[in-house]
Amino acid sequence: MERRNLLAGGGAAGFLFAAATGPASAQTPGLSTLDRIQRDKKVRITAEVDSPPFGIIGSDGQPDGSEIATARQLAKDLGAELEFVQVSATQRIPALLAGRADIAVSSLSITTDRAKTVAFCAPHGALSIVICGPKKTAIAGPADMAGKRIALTRATLEEATVPKAAPKGTELVFFDDIGPTIQALLSGQVDAAGMSAFAAKSVADRNPDAGIEVKFTVTTAYYGAAVRQADESLRHWIDTWVFVNTHNGVLAAIYEKYTGVKLPPLPTI
Amino acid sequence: MSRGFGWPELQFVLHGLLWTLGLSAVALTAGGVGGMIIALARVSRLRVLRIVAGGYIGLFQGTPVLMQLFLAFFGLAVLTGVQMDAWPAVTLAFTLYAGAFLGEIWRGAIQAVPPEQWEAARALGLRRPATLLRVVLPQAVRLAIPPTVGFLVQLIKSTAVASIIGFVEVTRAGQLMVNVTFRPMLVYPLVALLYFAVCWPVSLLAGRLERRLDARGSGSPRR
Amino acid sequence: MGYVFQFGVVWEHLPELLAGALLTLRLSVGAFVLGLLLAVLLTYARGYGSRAVRGPVVAYIEFMRNTPLLVQLFVLYFSLPAIGVRLGANQAALLGLALNFAAYGAEILRGGMQAVPVGQIEAANALGLRRWRVFRHVVLMPALRVAYPALASQFVLMMLGSSVVSAISATDLTAVTNTLQSTTFRGFEFYFVATGIYLAMALAARAGLDVAYRWLFPPLLRLRSA
Repeated sequence: MERRNLLAGGGAAGFLFAAATGPASAQTPGLSTLDRIQRDKKVRITAEVDSPPFGIIGSDGQPDGSEIATARQLAKDLGAELEFVQVSATQRIPALLAGRADIAVSSLSITTDRAKTVAFCAPHGALSIVICGPKKTAIAGPADMAGKRIALTRATLEEATVPKAAPKGTELVFFDDIGPTIQALLSGQVDAAGMSAFAAKSVADRNPDAGIEVKFTVTTAYYGAAVRQADESLRHWIDTWVFVNTHNGVLAAIYEKYTGVKLPPLPTI
Repeated sequence: MSRGFGWPELQFVLHGLLWTLGLSAVALTAGGVGGMIIALARVSRLRVLRIVAGGYIGLFQGTPVLMQLFLAFFGLAVLTGVQMDAWPAVTLAFTLYAGAFLGEIWRGAIQAVPPEQWEAARALGLRRPATLLRVVLPQAVRLAIPPTVGFLVQLIKSTAVASIIGFVEVTRAGQLMVNVTFRPMLVYPLVALLYFAVCWPVSLLAGRLERRLDARGSGSPRR
Repeated sequence: MGYVFQFGVVWEHLPELLAGALLTLRLSVGAFVLGLLLAVLLTYARGYGSRAVRGPVVAYIEFMRNTPLLVQLFVLYFSLPAIGVRLGANQAALLGLALNFAAYGAEILRGGMQAVPVGQIEAANALGLRRWRVFRHVVLMPALRVAYPALASQFVLMMLGSSVVSAISATDLTAVTNTLQSTTFRGFEFYFVATGIYLAMALAARAGLDVAYRWLFPPLLRLRSA
């Protein structure tokens, strides 16, 4: 690597910077995403496959889980062939914004921060964020996190809420996906981890020896599908879909099958 | 209970290996074409071409491939408004990465062709494009093969970082299987072995090619 | 897409980014020193050791060079706890980088050693110098001189490659960037700036190593007029 090349590389970076901050090119107008989906009979939906029980890899090597099943139902009712776009936790919204997916159905909790970049549809599920850990770790409340190492996944609700609840002296450790967070917890690399209560239960059930238990609840939230902010018609369609399938019990059945818990009453957005 | 690691799980990991190999093959081929263009630009008589190509190489050799991948996944769409699926985005990122390294390798190979060849070609009345095409490049290609094969090993290993953005190649496949079987002591070393099984023969081949070239004494630069 | 760039957000968090960059630098330098020491040991063992020692050394070098750093880190951080070895994230990162660098360093040193004229070694042996001293003064130092550019390149490669330690939660520049961009939703801006910081670090490392070369290995012959 010659120094000259590196310097020229810096120049190239600067050039790209200028190009980037120049006028951004507009997206091709005309066909709305909903129209395009109906015309092509194809819809791309995000699949988070490392996030039990919302999305996992089933024993047949195919995605499975509550959000996966929800996505399948949604695509069926759209009359479109479903293409899963496998994403990590941090890629759920970027995949949507970059156009790699049309809809994000990956247990995205509805927050005002996220609403600045994406448009949420009516919620179709609820979750709570908890701190969980092995029995031997003594954490009764937020204050006990001091001096302990807590694992969190980036770009999740736990990343947004746990740091605020953590007292000084808590060591927060971040991973790029829920899988590594769970692994860190199970391997004892961290004292506790923040994740959805369902994930904690899933981890505890599948690892009885580890003795994972929920310590306390940090917050609760509703989650729903997300679309790009410009896709108004698609958002209205999904809102309608959620309304219909809440009423006919389909969403409740999927939810209960994978989480083991009854679907609570869902507000409209 | 968690699943045990059985044949379905191994199949899933091997399927990921196929994607690793596919991604590497596409990046090597497309990057090879790009690299050739870059190399020619680097030896061009036009200074502007040399600088632009040098900048490209400096940019992709002076930054982490993981960052390049993040930018491709986050930045490309917002910059250009062009929407790209995951596979094209990943292959583009690794193609650009490979193009920079291969461009450097091939520039070195072109410059390692003895100057007497250029002089002889000029004496025969060949102009520069013809000299390049008929005299220099064929010799350069032979010189470039060992380091190119060596780079292929680097490329295959570098595709592991695609797992971090969720692309299901063999490393991520392993990660996903660790999370359904909870056997990190089994799966990660297995993934390492798979990489070794693929990369080591290629490394040995690169070594053998390099020794054969040295023995022929064609004046290739010692790495 | 009508994306509005907001680099001001990045500017606010510059201290955190620089702290991450500092850890990247510390990990890289630490791994370089440890890795180089190990590489020297490996090279000595490979050149002078018995067959029982050479085999594992070569196996180690070949294995580390033909498997990705990311997977090596996963094994160190996620797999080892299963047998009771629990390394912290930054510890695992340093160890992983050092072990990885040592393998490349050993190969580079081997190439450098081959450049030492055999006559030098024979002369040193004839003078009765013990094996280790022969190695240190007659083989190693000239080999380091020859191998220095390749080692310097490998340092920069390692520093850039260290970005994957973020995957095991070590708090390097990439990790800090990831955390900041996921909480501020300014992905492009943060990645762009972080990439620029890496580029600057690569440039500075390259320049610094060039200067160090001239200081560590001054020209051998100094012609003085009488």
